[in-house]
Amino acid sequence: MIALPLLALVIGFLVVYRFSMPPAWADYVAVAILAGLDALIGAVRARLEGQFDEAVFLSGFFVNMGLAMVLAYFGDKLGVDLYLAVVVALGIRIFTNLGRIRGLFVRARMEAHRARHVTPSQ
Amino acid sequence: MHGFWQTGKGWALPVSGVCLVLGALLGLQVHTQQLRGEMEVGRRSTALISLLSNSRAQIDLQTKEIERLRTQVAKYEKGAMSDKGAAALVTKELQNTRIALGLLPVKGPGVEVELDDSTIRGEDKGIGGPGTYLIHEFDLLQVANELWAAGAEAVSLNGQRLVAGSAIRCSGPLIQVNNTSIPHPFVFLAIGSKENLLSALNMRGGVLDQLRLVKFQVKVTPKDQITIPPIAIAPKYSYAKPATEETP
Repeated sequence: MIALPLLALVIGFLVVYRFSMPPAWADYVAVAILAGLDALIGAVRARLEGQFDEAVFLSGFFVNMGLAMVLAYFGDKLGVDLYLAVVVALGIRIFTNLGRIRGLFVRARMEAHRARHVTPSQ
Repeated sequence: MHGFWQTGKGWALPVSGVCLVLGALLGLQVHTQQLRGEMEVGRRSTALISLLSNSRAQIDLQTKEIERLRTQVAKYEKGAMSDKGAAALVTKELQNTRIALGLLPVKGPGVEVELDDSTIRGEDKGIGGPGTYLIHEFDLLQVANELWAAGAEAVSLNGQRLVAGSAIRCSGPLIQVNNTSIPHPFVFLAIGSKENLLSALNMRGGVLDQLRLVKFQVKVTPKDQITIPPIAIAPKYSYAKPATEETP
């Protein structure tokens, strides 16, 4: 079932690729992309842990995205690079979540391995 | 765990929707960044092109002015030469001084030395980084030094006459001679004894041998007739004054 989200990603990319925006927006969109990526990876983790909830996911995606952009915008107005705070916070979260996902997969594989090899010998 | 990739209830659709939005944002961002890069390059190159053509026009203008003044001087000298024997002697002396100062174009036998960056360049296999395989100003200085030492009477580098006050300098990515930037390949023209110049250049373990060691492109051709242009800007003497009243 990984095909549908991937297809959606590619279609979205290709459809919008012909458009462009004012270069001044680029920073905000970059931050928004990071927030979206964070929400997506968080969703994968929640799904693996059996805690996925549609409402939490969708609200998290859009609200975090908006929040990240607003923070970046205010940082711009205040002359403080607040978008860096967003980048660091989201970057750490993405890495943490990816680490958890990897851990879950490795543990699942190890358990499957043990089940296959240890049980018959005893 | 096992049913992870299967369609779960309320899982695939929201994630796909979000992926659509994310993909769209990515597309927008990537395209915008690309356009921005292209625009910047375009803007910079047009500015540089106009700067270059302006400078070229300026140089043409000034070169013409120099030529005009030189022919004028030559005319005056001719007038003086036809006057008397003593005047002729003075004019001959003046002529030699002018050659030494690089104010006159000169011709005669000599050698042409062409230097270019190493063929190792780009492959990046060698040690010491890419800078090792580029011609530097000190390479050119060494070659010029060798030419003078071998008795060259006039030397030019890429059309720039080398005189006593000529500097060969590194200015970032380019090399400057007489405060003029020159591109590679670097071509030395030297007037003097062909045999002396050739043997000095090709000395075992000499300057060119060291350059060839790192696969620099070195070409030495003896020539029967070489014309070396004059220096573009004559030296000024604002500080140095003759220490003796009369010249011997």
